[in-house]
This record gives sequence, structure tokens and C-alpha cells, in this order.
Amino acid sequence: MADHIETIKAAVVNGAHKEIEDLVRKALDGGSGPEQIIDAAMIAGMDEVGRKFSQNIIFVPEMLVAALTMKKGLDLIKPLLKSENVESKGTIVMCTVKGDVHDIGKNLVVMMLEGAGFDVVNLGVDQSVETLVAKVREIKPAILGLSALLTTTMPEMRRVIEALEAGGLRKNVKVMVGGAPVDADFAGKIGADGYGKDAAEAVAVARSFI
Amino acid sequence: MKSSSHNLVMSALYGGRRGERPPAVNPTSIACHELMDAAGVSFPAAHLDAAAMAELALAGHEITGFDTVMPEFSVDQEVAALGADVDWGDRNRMPDTKSFLYADFSDVVVPDDFLERPSMRVLLDALAILRRHVGGRAAVIGKVMGPWTLSYHMAGTQNFLLQIGMGEKDRVRKMLDQLMPATIASAKAQFRAGADVVVLADHATGNLVGAYHYEDLLLPYHKILTAEIEGPLILHVCGNCSDRLELFAEAGFDAYHFEWVVDARSAVERVGGRMSLVGNVNNTQTLYQGTPEDVYRQARYAIAAGVQMIGPECAIPLATPLENLKAIVAAVHQGY
Repeated sequence: MADHIETIKAAVVNGAHKEIEDLVRKALDGGSGPEQIIDAAMIAGMDEVGRKFSQNIIFVPEMLVAALTMKKGLDLIKPLLKSENVESKGTIVMCTVKGDVHDIGKNLVVMMLEGAGFDVVNLGVDQSVETLVAKVREIKPAILGLSALLTTTMPEMRRVIEALEAGGLRKNVKVMVGGAPVDADFAGKIGADGYGKDAAEAVAVARSFI
Repeated sequence: MKSSSHNLVMSALYGGRRGERPPAVNPTSIACHELMDAAGVSFPAAHLDAAAMAELALAGHEITGFDTVMPEFSVDQEVAALGADVDWGDRNRMPDTKSFLYADFSDVVVPDDFLERPSMRVLLDALAILRRHVGGRAAVIGKVMGPWTLSYHMAGTQNFLLQIGMGEKDRVRKMLDQLMPATIASAKAQFRAGADVVVLADHATGNLVGAYHYEDLLLPYHKILTAEIEGPLILHVCGNCSDRLELFAEAGFDAYHFEWVVDARSAVERVGGRMSLVGNVNNTQTLYQGTPEDVYRQARYAIAAGVQMIGPECAIPLATPLENLKAIVAAVHQGY
């Protein structure tokens, strides 16, 4: 059983997207539980991927294919989880802010958060302050993640946080920010709760909130 | 030598005599709101009309005091001519490609009239106008997208990078093969139109791909490009490329335009003897959010490190204060 788990973990780390479904089926047939596959193979695998990415051992292409591999595996396992009523680690709403359509970084964070067992509502790109306030009110996520690649769109993050405060929603949602021009100093200045310099750090920040 | 703007840039480009001071050079856009207001030209007109484009580029020399004029403010002139649907943005927003024509990696067709398409014609005409106005006085800089950056726009960046991750090297190489003629045609046309030097922007950046990806997939193309395009080329790859500086030198570029995150002293020490360096004042923290003194200090650090041409690390944020840009010019006018 442990062999199946290790094989799946290695498949995620190495981006073996063509083999993953077979491996997951074999593991399930061999008696591994869905939670065990997710926790010990998928999440552990994506943690390893995040570590290697942070250390510049692998780059975005390898990370994308690892995430694709994980997703294929998760798609097989998810229906089994629903039936067993397994609890999510929390809901996170993710997007790039108004005016910013650059979404690779945000997508990597989404993939890593899903890999870490969070329920992620990915709103996509170019989300206005008004839409985000409405979505936070409607979805009531534990965390809102905002991404910006451009220096010109960074100020939108502050506007979102101010609008959440004005709408009386701020105390119920943690806000984390990221993107190439953003740093911890900026995150602090605009009143965000957390900042991740890359996708792996974003997962660590999200875990610290839950 | 005469220390004219043109001479200072061209000599620094080849690592030649130093003259009275280093030149202030912008391989990428220094268009900001204040400069647009001073020139009486704004986006998107400066992407779409040759006279407006030349006017704004000229303001970088005549108002800001840079030793260069560089009229391509976006990365979209070639991709628009290749058929991509480009949203040209507005005063506050840079252009962007809206859809990806070759997301399925089908055969890319470079149109026969590629150089005559409106977005290329604008650039070539703007270069010709600039040549007529400041030729031999300021250095006229053209800019072309390399096959890697063109692929981002043709297939979608994430899609292109995923193919690399999936080991689909043949697909990736086929796309690079098919786009390289557009890069060569555009660069050669820009020299003919009046450019003294052309910037080749190809974003195989450390923020996205590793040095091993560059060496395996793009370096062979860059060697062909530097051999085929006769005029001087400045390579622009933003982000942290500390791990691949020697590979850029090996590719045969005359200069490399680099970011603040790459230490200037280390860069000069490692590759300064093989190609010239241009940069590397930080955009976000320093030019955009810092003071003129902060900018001045970083520019002086680069000069002291032996960086031959001084300028912003990349296209500047549109809200950059003009006085911060001028602090780069003040720093180079202090001499060595």
C-alpha cells in the first residue's frame, strides 16, 4: 500500500500526467483510501514541487505539468470523497485585480492550494472591487487571494481591502496578496493579512490562517 | 572622441572608448504619464500612429535627456501583424493580446505582407521619422520580439510553458522555427528604416523558465538570430537571469539589458568582457515608488560597477514620476 502512495507522489513530482490515472486506480484497487492518496501522495507531492520551485530546481513548466498531473488524479478521487463527506480545509476566493490579465502566477497558486486540499473559487482575471465585495458577501470565503503582475494594478489591492472594510466584511475574511511587484512591505502597508513570494509560500500563508 | 549622445551610446555598445560620461539608454519604454503630457501624445495613439509614436520617443531624448530614442512602447507590434487580436489599451493600460491564434500549435503563417501590416508600418515609419530628426545626434533604438516571446502571444504563455513541461519539444521547436523569420524580417527592416541598434526582447526569464530550458530550447535560435541579423543587438530578458548570463554572452549578443535583481558588479565581472551591459535601475521600488535620490544612488552604483549604459531595468510603470527618470540622466552627467 505504501508503495502505491510513494509511486503516486513521485508521479506528481515528476509530472507523469499520462500515468497518474492508472496509478490512482491501482492504489484504490489495492486498498488505499482516498484521503490517504490525497494527503500522503497528492498534497505531499505538491509540497515537494513547491519546495523545488522555491529553490529554483524546477520552474513554471514543470510546476504546470505537476499540477496537471495532480488534477487528473484528484478528478478520479473527488467523487469518492463527496460520498464520504470529507471536510474541506477551507474556501479561498482567488483572482487577479482590476486591469490585470496576467494570471499564470495566480493559476499556480490556485493549483497549489487545490493540491493542499482547499476549496478554491477561481474568479479569473480583471476583477473589479465591486465584484469582489459582492463575491465575498455571497461565498463567505475564509481567505481572499489577490494577484497583480503590474505596478499599475497594485493599488487595486488596497481599494479591495478598503471596500471590504467599508462593507463590514473585513473581519470575516483573511486577505493574502502576491505577484511580481508585490512584497511583504507593500502587503503590510495596504493592510493585507499575508503575502507569499511564490505559490509554495502562498500555501503556507493560507494554512497559517486556517 | 566627441561625446555626443549618439557616439556615447555606440561606443558603449561595443565596449569602446568611454568619452566624458556613460550614456543614459532606454532599450525599453520610458513613456510615463508626465512624459505623455509634456509631449502632447498619449496611449494608445503612440502605438498606432507613426508621428505620435515618434513624437513620444523623441520626448524621451529632448525632455527627459536620455541619449536614445526608442519608439516601440509595447510588445505587440509584431504579434498584431501576425494576426493576433490586440487590445491597444489606453493612457493607463498597456496593450495586450486578447486571443491566441495558435493555441493548438498548428502551423504558423507569417503573412507575405508582414512588414506592410499597419502595426509594423507604424513602427518602421516612426523609426524613419526619428532618423530624420535626430540621426547621428541621438542613438535610434528599434525593438523586436524574439521567437520565444512571439510564441507566448501566439499560443498563450501558460499553454506554451505547459508544452515545455510536458516534454513536447518538437511542438515547441516547430513554433520557434516558424516564428523566427518574423523576428529576422522585423529586425532587418528596422535597421533599414533607421535604427542604429535593435533590442531583441525574448522573455525566457528566470521567473518562468530555467537556464536549462534556455540552453536546450532557445540558445540555438539566438545563435542563428545574432548571425543572421547583421546590425548590433541588445538582448532584453527581464526578471532574475543571474543563472544564464554566460549563455546570453555565448549567444553572440552585443549587449544585455538586465534588472536590478541581477547584481551589476557580479554581472560585469562575469560577462562584461564579452558583451556590454545596460540597466539596471529598479522599476517598482525605486523609479516608481522611490525618490530621485534613490534613483541617483542606484544609477551611480551601476556606473561604479562598470555597467556601460545606464537606464531603467525594464519598461517603466506609467505613473513613474518624470523627476525620477531625470535622476538617471543627472547620474550619468556626473561622469565616471
